[in-house]
Amino acid sequence: MSMYYAGILSDIGILLLGALSVYIILATGQLSLGNAGFMGIGAYITSWLTVEAGLPITVALVIAALVSGAIGVAVGFPALRLKGIYLAMATLGFGEVVRSFLLNFAAMGGPEGFHGMHHISTGYIWTWAVSVLVLVMLIEASPIWLEIRAVRDDETAAGLVGLNATEIKVGAFGCGAAVAAIAGGLFAHHHVYIEPGNFSFERSVDLVLAVILGGSTVASGALAGAVMLVILPEYLRFLAEWRFAAFGALLIAMLLVRRQGLLDRALLRFAWRGSRA
Amino acid sequence: MLRVRDLVVGYGAIQAVRGIDLDIEQGEIVALIGSNGAGKTTVARAIAGLLSYSGEILFEDVRLKPNAAERNLRLGIALVPEGRGILGTMTVQENLLMGLYTRNDKAQAKLDLAVIHQRFPILAQRGHLLASLMSGGEQQLLAIGRALLSKPKLLLLDEPSLGLSPRMTDTVFAMIEDLRRDGLTVLLVEQKARQTLQIADRAYLLETGCVITTGPAKGLIDDPVVSETFLGSRTAAVHR
Repeated sequence: MSMYYAGILSDIGILLLGALSVYIILATGQLSLGNAGFMGIGAYITSWLTVEAGLPITVALVIAALVSGAIGVAVGFPALRLKGIYLAMATLGFGEVVRSFLLNFAAMGGPEGFHGMHHISTGYIWTWAVSVLVLVMLIEASPIWLEIRAVRDDETAAGLVGLNATEIKVGAFGCGAAVAAIAGGLFAHHHVYIEPGNFSFERSVDLVLAVILGGSTVASGALAGAVMLVILPEYLRFLAEWRFAAFGALLIAMLLVRRQGLLDRALLRFAWRGSRA
Repeated sequence: MLRVRDLVVGYGAIQAVRGIDLDIEQGEIVALIGSNGAGKTTVARAIAGLLSYSGEILFEDVRLKPNAAERNLRLGIALVPEGRGILGTMTVQENLLMGLYTRNDKAQAKLDLAVIHQRFPILAQRGHLLASLMSGGEQQLLAIGRALLSKPKLLLLDEPSLGLSPRMTDTVFAMIEDLRRDGLTVLLVEQKARQTLQIADRAYLLETGCVITTGPAKGLIDDPVVSETFLGSRTAAVHR
């Protein structure tokens, strides 16, 4: 496999994890525009742990996920009192707070960034990506998913059947933050150099886009979205400067034709029947 | 079973309920009637634990807390809210399964689900349909069925006849009587005063957040105060 394709595959794996982090939160009906912030937290913690503390990458990633998850829960409690556009704005603000904190965090390079990480293989990235994807798909097949869907559907009605909507929403936010941190840690060790600008608002939007494009109602949509978001701009290279405009047009077309994104439950069922016929 | 004392609920500057006392005894159907905006729904939602309020609500001598719907459900108070509160993006069967959420006795819960399917065959037939695609009456049955699956001791029904055909309304009212026969206690919030008073044991008439009259339901049917509230004049009551 050439370096070019290995790079693209790694990008897809990292974006898949980032998209899943948004998907988990979106499943409870909350839109987070701040997941790049959690990615940044994960990237910096993991890098510090491997470079300065000399820990193995896997241990570092787990610690970063736990810390980021805890921050997610702490931020989630007040933030999830907000709904819809207000929550989106609050999470966007959170992402920017993290980015400007990292800019001023001289101990890890501030605006100059941080380096010294060892490069990791594409296989390692995909081991994490597939594990988390499978985990989310297992949850989707379990009774817990009914509870999550109920909260997304109608919080009051969910409360009336005895669900604790706050607990479920904050829990999902924490899990999303943890997964985003893993994506960030892998990002740092794939590029072996990080700077605060890597974790800006644009990346948060990328993560959300991957979910919306690929399919926001099934976990495998995040995979489809990550593939599209990385590969399409490459295939559109023949359009030179126009490729991002073409990409934007494709995005609008997709949302007009298929609001739920490329994949949904009906399409997956259809494909499943087709493959067995 | 339930004691409500000096219940006051406000939405911002507006006081929707202004010091209400209310009692429900085991096995009763108690009706809460009154016109639009009288505060009936607010009382039901406060008892269910969906609102903050001041005053005291005791259920089987346990003091209830405001904003604790989940706890109240586990204590045995289930609310079928106005507008039914079904989960529209989920199937009928999934809605019923959610009704079992608080149950720890999974084996018995399964049997109860079969009983509900027997009682409301339509819910079994339409199990895989999205709940939002059912008719209003079917949704009401689903909402009631789901509430029953939590095994409540007290069932709060908020305007179950709203938007239903007269025939469906009769079905729902007959079912409420059945439920009481099975030992359930019911608080029935309704605007259809006459029909409600016919199946209720006692009733409270609410107006602008206060109880203006209360007593045995049969006695209230011909009460001039009730007639005036609902029909605008006493002669109208005589003609019905």
